[in-house]
Amino acid sequence: MSEIASASLPARTPLPWGHWWRQVRAILRLELRKGFRRSYGLYLLALAPIIVPLAILIVRTVSADFDRGFGVPEATQFYAGFYQAFMLRIVIFLACVAVFGNLIRRETLDRSLHYYFLSPLRRELLVVAKYLTGLLVSFLLFGVATVVTFVLTYAPLESTAVRQFLFGGHGLSHLGSYLLVTFLACAGYGAVFLFFGFFFKSPALPALAVFGWEAILFLLPPLLKQASVMHYLQSLCPVPVPERLLALLADAPSPWVAIPGLLVLAVVLVAISAWKIRRMEISYDES
Amino acid sequence: MIASPAGADRRVVFENVSKFYGDVLGVNRVNLSIPPGITGLVGPNGSGKTTLMNLMVGLIRPTRGRISVLGMEPYDAEHLFRQVGYASQYDSFPPGLTGYQFVESYLRVHGFTAKEAEAMTWKTLERVGLVEPAGRKVAGYSKGMRQRARLAQAIAHQPSVLVLDEPLNGLDPMARAEAIALFRELADGGLHVIVSSHILHEVDLISDQVVLIHGGYVVAEGEIADVRDEMEEQHPVQVLIRCDRPSLLASRVFEQDHVVEARILEDGHSLLVRTRDADRFHLVLNEIVLGNGLTVESVAPADADVSAVYQYLIGSDGEKQ
Repeated sequence: MSEIASASLPARTPLPWGHWWRQVRAILRLELRKGFRRSYGLYLLALAPIIVPLAILIVRTVSADFDRGFGVPEATQFYAGFYQAFMLRIVIFLACVAVFGNLIRRETLDRSLHYYFLSPLRRELLVVAKYLTGLLVSFLLFGVATVVTFVLTYAPLESTAVRQFLFGGHGLSHLGSYLLVTFLACAGYGAVFLFFGFFFKSPALPALAVFGWEAILFLLPPLLKQASVMHYLQSLCPVPVPERLLALLADAPSPWVAIPGLLVLAVVLVAISAWKIRRMEISYDES
Repeated sequence: MIASPAGADRRVVFENVSKFYGDVLGVNRVNLSIPPGITGLVGPNGSGKTTLMNLMVGLIRPTRGRISVLGMEPYDAEHLFRQVGYASQYDSFPPGLTGYQFVESYLRVHGFTAKEAEAMTWKTLERVGLVEPAGRKVAGYSKGMRQRARLAQAIAHQPSVLVLDEPLNGLDPMARAEAIALFRELADGGLHVIVSSHILHEVDLISDQVVLIHGGYVVAEGEIADVRDEMEEQHPVQVLIRCDRPSLLASRVFEQDHVVEARILEDGHSLLVRTRDADRFHLVLNEIVLGNGLTVESVAPADADVSAVYQYLIGSDGEKQ
């Protein structure tokens, strides 16, 4: 570029990434301080999945007959069904409704959102920071729940077989996959409910709709299955669970499609939420 | 940035601004240019004061018209709120925070470092008298303390424009006097302090200029004395004089063509005069007093305060004149 041409262009100010990152960390700290410390319902929800394998562990400990015919393959199959049917579809789903559906709504209800709006802060950054806070909290809680339930499922089995499964077989890679699915579930459902939080006064209605949609997923034709978070999550689970009666079978997307697909979905929904908050007016009286 | 006329970069400017909430009028065709100093936004509840303030800081957007604050658009939060602080009338706080955490946390959101935020927080809490309860949860504060906490949060980053919605509500007389002194100190330092109130005498005490608003319309704007002067023809100025011979004074002043009424009050020592030309009246009064050897105890305007002006403008039936 010639000197004249470059001189006529306005000087580009570098984006203040360092400043933005400091603001994101400040929001994260504030959100954790004011909101999540006292979210006892969420902690109970994270404890709920631990009860099932814990109960089985106790029964096995007190009953010698219970173990007969229940080895590593059976435990693996049991955990796959338990994780997909209970943890993924109910526990993590509900947690995402509670956490992400209330990220903005809670502050509208307690009339404190304007304090953020009165700060020298890009509103898009507020959405991103709040989403990251939700993701951090939900993944920490349910990542830990995933690890604990996994360990409890294999804990009562014969130790040599378990050690072989974990360190010589697929055990650790299974655990890694489940953690990845937990993370992507939080990211995907989190973005969905953050998005709906801008369009619905209560998260209950969209939550019911999404829950219903995901529940009838097995009946949907292959094309419609693609418009579902669960379809991609299931495909990433290391152990397939047999489809139910009347299920319309569809090819499972490969991880190369499922992982970027879910992440792109999350980014798009967070971006729309950020656009939405830019136009948002504070009108607590209507909420 | 909005292209602004000269000087607008030092003012808060409304250009033909209207705001409707659906079919409900918030404010209509507002034109204002607010200079530094203390400006009182005066009007009864529901007159549109909070709407004006919320428009000023971009919490709501105008249906039409333009607003600029020191040359900035109100929606450019990233730049605007380095210069502007707003204490809203919402008596609500983020849950679970202490007074210290409340102020410090939002300073961190501004982008200040931990060390800067800590120093600024203590300085501000000291300024509003909240150092002692700083470690207690805001939820346990009295109404006056919560009001001061909001004020602290609004001034902590040292803004150039301070917007305060009913800031004296809930304060006891002592705290009220301290708050007014603080507003005066900030205004003397060159800040815009824009204060709303529905208590007229309160605004009289603190404002350099006033914006009178009623039913969503700005009915008058400027220094209260100037606004009053403009109304002399329709509403003659009332002057209350306490002297030793009010009947003699009454007969003398009534000879003046601009005096429309001279009435001795029940205490027998006070004379209430209504005149269409206050300046000429004061000159004549001096001559009469000196010429007749009257002893005058006091001369005071009886209707030059915001309350009287507002009453004249709005009328007893609440209609804009």
